[in-house]
Amino acid sequence: MIRKAAVALAAMMLTTQAFAADAPAEIKIGTLYASSGRYASISMPVHSALKLWVDQKNAEGGVFVKAFDKKIPIKLVAYDDQSNTATAATLYNQLVTQDKVDLLVADSGSVLTAPAVTIARDHKMFLFDQTGTGASFFSKDNPYIALMSDPVSTIWPKPVADFITHDGPGLGIKKVAILYSTNEFTGTQANAVRKFIKDSGAPIEIVYDQGIPTETTNYTVIINNILAKEPDAVIHLGYAPNDIAFLRNVQDVGAKFKMLFCIYPGLETELLEKNVGAKGLQHVFTYVPPQELDYPVNFGMKMADFKKVWDAKYKDGKIEFGFNSVAGYTTALIIEKTLSVATSLDQMELRKAVFSLSGNLKTLDGTFALDEMGGQIGELTPLGQLELNEHGHIKFVSIYPHETATGKPVYPRP
Amino acid sequence: MLYPLIAGVLFGLYFSLVGIGLNLVFGVMRIVNLAHGDFLMLGAFVAFGIYTVAGLDPLVGIPIAFALFCIAGLLLYWVLVPRLQRARDPEMLSFILFFGFSQVIEALTTIVFGTSERSIPSRELANSLAGVRAAIFGGEPTNGPFRLLGLSFPASWVVAATVSVIAIGCVYLYLYRTRLGTLTRAVMSRRDEAIATGINVDRVSAAAFGIGLGLAAVAGVFAPFMFGSFTPAFGIDATVTSFVVVVLGSLGNPLGTALGGIVYGVSYMIVQTYLSSWADLLPYVLLIAILLLRPSGLLGRRVRVA
Repeated sequence: MIRKAAVALAAMMLTTQAFAADAPAEIKIGTLYASSGRYASISMPVHSALKLWVDQKNAEGGVFVKAFDKKIPIKLVAYDDQSNTATAATLYNQLVTQDKVDLLVADSGSVLTAPAVTIARDHKMFLFDQTGTGASFFSKDNPYIALMSDPVSTIWPKPVADFITHDGPGLGIKKVAILYSTNEFTGTQANAVRKFIKDSGAPIEIVYDQGIPTETTNYTVIINNILAKEPDAVIHLGYAPNDIAFLRNVQDVGAKFKMLFCIYPGLETELLEKNVGAKGLQHVFTYVPPQELDYPVNFGMKMADFKKVWDAKYKDGKIEFGFNSVAGYTTALIIEKTLSVATSLDQMELRKAVFSLSGNLKTLDGTFALDEMGGQIGELTPLGQLELNEHGHIKFVSIYPHETATGKPVYPRP
Repeated sequence: MLYPLIAGVLFGLYFSLVGIGLNLVFGVMRIVNLAHGDFLMLGAFVAFGIYTVAGLDPLVGIPIAFALFCIAGLLLYWVLVPRLQRARDPEMLSFILFFGFSQVIEALTTIVFGTSERSIPSRELANSLAGVRAAIFGGEPTNGPFRLLGLSFPASWVVAATVSVIAIGCVYLYLYRTRLGTLTRAVMSRRDEAIATGINVDRVSAAAFGIGLGLAAVAGVFAPFMFGSFTPAFGIDATVTSFVVVVLGSLGNPLGTALGGIVYGVSYMIVQTYLSSWADLLPYVLLIAILLLRPSGLLGRRVRVA
């Protein structure tokens, strides 16, 4: 009996020693961010949230890694791609081939994620895609990607299209204008809206459908062209700087669209309110972000706690709190949970671990759910409308789907 | 068609102002200021500061930005340009030097102000002049859209275009009606001959560099209204467009820059109307076309060297 116990004890010690010997001194997470350029305003909040989590975990002694049955400090290897896709491609390669990171995390947005998708696939690295929702990233023959924080763009605009096709005819919406920036993110959303409207069979005619360069900063003539088509609803799909310029130009020329949808008033409300003003956002339709929905969580901080921690860490207010900061923190939580269930750091094992969380992980961003190709199909954002409260500040009214609605749409815009 | 034409003229006049400072600097010194757009961006921050900190009409930023950047230009000239001129190939070296300078300005501005977009409400521009506008054109003394021939244009565009015309006029008067301007034209025409005739080329060039930077900063005051918002990274695009406008019009000619701006603005608006996806290619297409068809620019003159 004593001999058996001694053997078992020795075996246990050997196993522990083996774990300790194999365990790396740090877990290397490689990522990019854009400190300047067109995508800085969506990249920096995501990156800052990831950094916040890394600092938090390292202060606790590291993140628990099941493969080594211990907490291991995280080393965040992050390079600045300056919103340049060519620079991003070089730096993603560097992360994989030179820095040999354990986990590869994409920069924010589809444009800067696109180079990572190919590189990750070529090197058989699993890509933690933070907010790159472009349709072409996800295919059955690419197992090396999963979308962490935003719904994939092929389904994201469904509430908008459904509202127009289901409730629109009753409200008098017959003619729709679609204006989009020609990039993977908003181009996919435009395709999806067009498809949903056409497939619905609803009596809706698309009277204006134009793509414009993502770098567009001036919409005056375009707004005039849209007005000439007399649409009942205008759907503008662009990045935050596009929405800012578009909404400002709408005010500048005194245009009044009966219904106007834009993406970023909902996602980066603070930034948009600062630049467009509360009046300019009044009655604008947009996505209702998780900050307004207060999802129940089974892992990580709740929204109010996260906001408190964020405000304490980023006191200078140079980086806005919003949808993208939530997205960055959500990615971090998925990484943490993945490391806590993966039995090794092998890339396919990481994929298996990520997919095992699908449907089970509930964070402040909603339920994390993936389709078979790694596209995010949880964390949905209903359609809402921005209104002013009694103090003149922006408030969200959830409009569609009806089951989550908190009010009726104001249509036509007064 | 009428709308893009009028919008294009207004928009283009503003781009004349964006380009004229670059034209002056290149015309006099034959150096390429790749940081031109960054000075424009700094001008936007001056307007932003005047509005957010002091609560003043951003128009107040025009004399302040001009004076500040004129002085900065004079100082910068004495630090950078004489050394540059002594180099074997100052034009090529200026590319590298000012590219580096542009990166430094952008990085420092990002560190100080962050990366987020900033803007100023459109109604705040020339708010103090709304009463004057109402007296001339009728209507309410508020800063709403500007109506012309039944069409609606942003009031800020009209203000920016007006200031641009005044600024171009001032540059014209400076060059053709002042002694320093005459000397400036002499340096523009033949630098070596100007030196030989005893003109203090450094003094003339420093003044041109200061005025060039001052004009860039004045154009920057309107950037939040013309581009929707601005960030520290905004300078590169502005530099590219300035080049197109300057090369289109002809180097060293303020009226050429005005014409170049209008051609650019009208073409941009027409392309946005009929081929919107291709609008961003326009500057490069225009640049290639003008270099192939008329390298001296629209108002350029052939120079005969004896």
